Amino acid sequence: MSLILSSAPHVRTKDNTQRLMLNVIISLLPCLIAGVYYFGFACLIPVCVSVVSAVAAEWVWQKLGHKKIRIYDLSAVVTGLLLGLIVPPSAPWWMMVIGSAFAIIVVKQLFGGIGDNFLNPALAARAVLLASWPALMTSGYNVGKFDAVTTPTPLLGSASLMDLLLGNVTGAIGETCKIAILIGFVYLLATRTIRWEIPVITLASAALLGWLLGTDPLTTVLSGGLLFGAVYMATDYVTTPMNSLARYLYAVGIGVIVVLIRKYGSYPEGVTYAILLMNIAATLFDRIPVQRIYGHTNAKKEGK
Amino acid sequence: MKATFRGGVHPAHHSKQPTRGLAIRDFVSDTVQIVMNMNIGAPSKPCVKKGDHVKIGQIIGEPVGGLGLPVHASVSGEVVAVDAIPYITGDMVQSVTIKNDFQEEWEELHPLGNVETVDPALILPAIKNAGICGMGGASFPTHVKLTIAPGKKCEYVLANGAECETHITCDDRLMQEHATRVVDGLRAVMRALDVKNGIIGIEDNKPEAIAAMEKAAQGRDGVRVQVMKTKYPQGGEKQLIRVLTGREVPSGGLPIDCGCVVVNVGTCAAIADAIIDGKPVIDRVLTCTGAVRSPANLRVRIGTITADIIGECGGYSTDPGKIFFGGAMTGLCIPNDSLPVAKSTNGVVVFTREEAVSAEEDPCIRCGKCVDACPIGLNPYDMKISADIEKWDDCKKKHVMDCMLCGACAFICPARRWLTPSFKIAKQKITEIAKKEAAAK
Amino acid sequence: MSEKKMNLGKVFMNGVITENPTFRLVLGTCPTLAVTTSAINGLGMGAAATFVLLGSNIVISALRKVIPDKVRIPSFIVVICMFVTIIQLVMQAYLPSLYESLGIFLPLIVVNCIILGRAEAFASKNPVVASAVDGIGMGLGFTLALTLIGCIRELAGNGSVFGINLLGTSFQPMLLMILPAGGFLVFGLLLGIINSLTNRKKGGAK
Repeated sequence: MSLILSSAPHVRTKDNTQRLMLNVIISLLPCLIAGVYYFGFACLIPVCVSVVSAVAAEWVWQKLGHKKIRIYDLSAVVTGLLLGLIVPPSAPWWMMVIGSAFAIIVVKQLFGGIGDNFLNPALAARAVLLASWPALMTSGYNVGKFDAVTTPTPLLGSASLMDLLLGNVTGAIGETCKIAILIGFVYLLATRTIRWEIPVITLASAALLGWLLGTDPLTTVLSGGLLFGAVYMATDYVTTPMNSLARYLYAVGIGVIVVLIRKYGSYPEGVTYAILLMNIAATLFDRIPVQRIYGHTNAKKEGK
Repeated sequence: MKATFRGGVHPAHHSKQPTRGLAIRDFVSDTVQIVMNMNIGAPSKPCVKKGDHVKIGQIIGEPVGGLGLPVHASVSGEVVAVDAIPYITGDMVQSVTIKNDFQEEWEELHPLGNVETVDPALILPAIKNAGICGMGGASFPTHVKLTIAPGKKCEYVLANGAECETHITCDDRLMQEHATRVVDGLRAVMRALDVKNGIIGIEDNKPEAIAAMEKAAQGRDGVRVQVMKTKYPQGGEKQLIRVLTGREVPSGGLPIDCGCVVVNVGTCAAIADAIIDGKPVIDRVLTCTGAVRSPANLRVRIGTITADIIGECGGYSTDPGKIFFGGAMTGLCIPNDSLPVAKSTNGVVVFTREEAVSAEEDPCIRCGKCVDACPIGLNPYDMKISADIEKWDDCKKKHVMDCMLCGACAFICPARRWLTPSFKIAKQKITEIAKKEAAAK
Repeated sequence: MSEKKMNLGKVFMNGVITENPTFRLVLGTCPTLAVTTSAINGLGMGAAATFVLLGSNIVISALRKVIPDKVRIPSFIVVICMFVTIIQLVMQAYLPSLYESLGIFLPLIVVNCIILGRAEAFASKNPVVASAVDGIGMGLGFTLALTLIGCIRELAGNGSVFGINLLGTSFQPMLLMILPAGGFLVFGLLLGIINSLTNRKKGGAK
C-alpha cells in the first residue's frame, strides 16, 4: 500500500482559478447578447477577434518564454472578452488585435503573468486604444438599430432613464444594457465569485457626489460605462486591495474620480481612468493596517 | 442571533456526515500497540517487559518530567513486545504490544464518588493519574492545563463541543449518548478550579446533541449550553473563547491569560470516568469514515491498530490513497495502516486515490479570499510571499506566529496555494531561530 | 603605442555600446522621452548633445589640473554652458525648424546628466585625447539611441521615418506613440529587450 502523505488541509474548495474565470465569462454573456440585439451580429467581430488574439498572445508569449502554458485558466479569455465589450461596435479588427496583445503582453505578462499585473489589462488596453485612435474609439456607434446620427456617449445626450436601463442608447458593445449587467452581477454574487461591496460602494459614492454636484443619482449610475466598470472592472481580483476596509476606500475613490472627470474633466467619460488610477493605488491601500489581529489590543501600535 | 466569529469557511462535507446518526459501537481488537508519547511532553518510560501479564488499567508506562503522564494497559493479556516503532511524527517511539486474552480483568480501581461532593483537592491528582490529555487532538496533559499559575484567575470553564472539523462526529455522539458524563466532567473541572461559570459550546448542526446537553445541564450549578453557528474553525480554542465569553486570548498567550480554560467534551467525559469510576483512559470514541464500506463511530481501546478499525468498518471500499488521523482540515497523514491510535485520535479518515491527489499550486490571483477567511485577521497571501523566499523575519513581522494553522486560507484558495503548510514551516523555523539565539546568549 | 590605441578604441566602443548612456546607464532620460517624437528630432538632439559633450570634455580635461576640487561642479557647468550657447545660436541661425521643435530641451542640455556625468567621471581624470574620444563615443551612443526611439515612435505614430511616409495612406497612425506615454512605452520596451539580450549573452559566456 502506498499512501500519499501531505500536510493539512486535505480538502479544498471546489472553486479554482479556472472556475472563477468561467463564472465571469458566463456572467458576461447577457451583456454580449444585449450587444448583439442592439448592434447586430457585426459587433461579434471585435469581441471574437479580441478573445482569440488575447489567448493567442498569451500562448505565444508563454511558448516563446519557455514558460508553463496557462491559457487554460481562462484569464486571457476574460481579458479579451472584457476588452471586446468596452469598445464601439464598429471597432476595426486590427485595433482589437493590438489592444489584446497590449493587454496580455505588456500589461499582464511583462509584469509577471496572472496575479502580478498592477493594472486591469482590459482597461489599460482600452486606455491605449483611446489615446491612439480617439476617432475610432469615440465614433462608429451608428450600427444596428442606431442608424441615425447619435452622440458618442449618452452622457451628454438626453436619453430617458428607461432607455438607459434597457440599453436603448449608443455606447460600447457591452456597456449599454444595464439590465444585462445587473443579471451578470447577480450571477457573480450567487456564485460567490465577487463580493457586493465594491460595485455597490462605487455606485453609491458616484451617485452621492453626482447628486451633490447637481446630477440626478440614477442618471449618474445608469449612464456611460459606470455600471459595467463597477461590476466587472473594479472587482478584478488582481488589481483590487486585499483587505476589506481598503477595498471600500478603493471603491469610494473610483466613484469620486468618475464624477469629477465627468463633471470637470475634458473627457466625456472617466470610468476607465478612475479605475486605472485606483488600481495603481490598490497596493498602497493594502499598507494601511486596518485589520485587527486576534489577540492584539491595538492594531496601530502593532504595526510599528 | 447565533454566536460566531469573524472569517472562517464552510467546508462542503460539514453537516452531512454518514456517521452522524450512528450510535457509538464498542470494538475490542486482538492486539493493541500502545505508544509512549501520546501526550505533549517527554515520552513515558515502559515499565513492563515481554512476557508479563497485564490487567486493564495497569500502568505500563511511567511519567517522565513535568508534562509526563502515566500510560495504562487498555486490554488484559500478555505483553508480546516492547520495542521502538516509527510514529506519525516520524520519530522512533517506544511501544508496548499486548495480546488480548479477552478476560477483561481490571486492575483495582479507586473511585472518588460523586463529582459534586468529592474533595476538590483530589480532582487534579485523579486527572493526572488517569493519564488524561486533551482528547480533541491537542494531546496537552489536562492536569497541567488545569494548574493555574499564581497570579492568574480562571473565571470560565468552556467545554468544547463545537466539533467543527469535517468528517468527525464522535463528540456529537458522545454528547448525545453520554451527556451527563460530559456535564459531570465539566463540573469536576469547575469545582477543582473554584469557577462559577461553565459554558458548553455546540455548533447548530448538532440539534440532538444540543437537546441532550441542555437536558443534562438542567439544575447543574453554573452550567449552560450555548449554541454557535456552524462554521470552521468554530472549535478553535481562540474562536471558542471569543464566541462564548467575548474575550480574546492575548497574542502569544494562553486561554488562562483571559481567565478561560477550554476542555474538549471528550476530555470532560474522561475526567468524569476518572472521578466517578476511578477509570484511567483506556478507550476513546472515534469516527472511522471516508472510503470504508460502513463508516462508524467506535469506542476503541487505546492502541488499536488502524487496519483493525478499518476492518471493523467493513474494510476499504476502494484502493485507499490517503489515511489521516483527525478531520480533513487539520488531520495528520499516516504512512501506512499498521499504526495504532492514541488518546487524542478522534478520527480515522480514508481518502480514495482521486481525493488524495493534491492540486498543483497556481500563481496567486490576489482574490483576497484568504484574508476574508482568516479567523485571526492575518494576511495569508502576504505571509506566503515571505515564506516562499524563506524570509522568516518578515514572516514574523507579518504575525505568522499568531497563525493557528487552521487551514481555512488553504481551503478557500482558488489557486490551490499551499498556505497552511508554508506557515507551519515558518513557525517551526522561527521557533528554531529563537531557540538558537537564546542558546547563544 | 598599440596599447594606447586599443585603449582609445575601447573608450569609444564603451560609449556607443557597453555603457550606452541611454540604454545601459539610463542617463539623460528627460530629453530621451521628450524630444523623440520623430527621428529627426532624436538625431538633432543627439547631434547637439554630442557637440557639447565633445567640446566640454576636451576643455574640462585640459583644465583638469587647474580647476580646484571644491568648485569643480560650477566650473564644469560654466564650460558646458558655453558650448550649449554656441550650439543654440548655430541651430537658431541655420536650422530654425529643428530649433523650434527641440524648444526648451536644447538649453536644458546644460543640466543633462550625461554631460556633467562624463565631465565628472571621465574628463576630469583623463588626458585630452581620451576625453575627446569618450565624448564622441558617448555622444554617438546617445544619438543612436535617440534616433532609434525617434524612428520607432515616428513610424508607429505617424507612419513615417525622417519625414518619409513608409506605410502608405491607409495606415491609421497610433497617436499614443507620439504622446509622452508612448515615449515611456518604447523606452521601457527597448530597455527590456536590450537587458534580456545582454543577460542571454552573459549567460551564454558562462
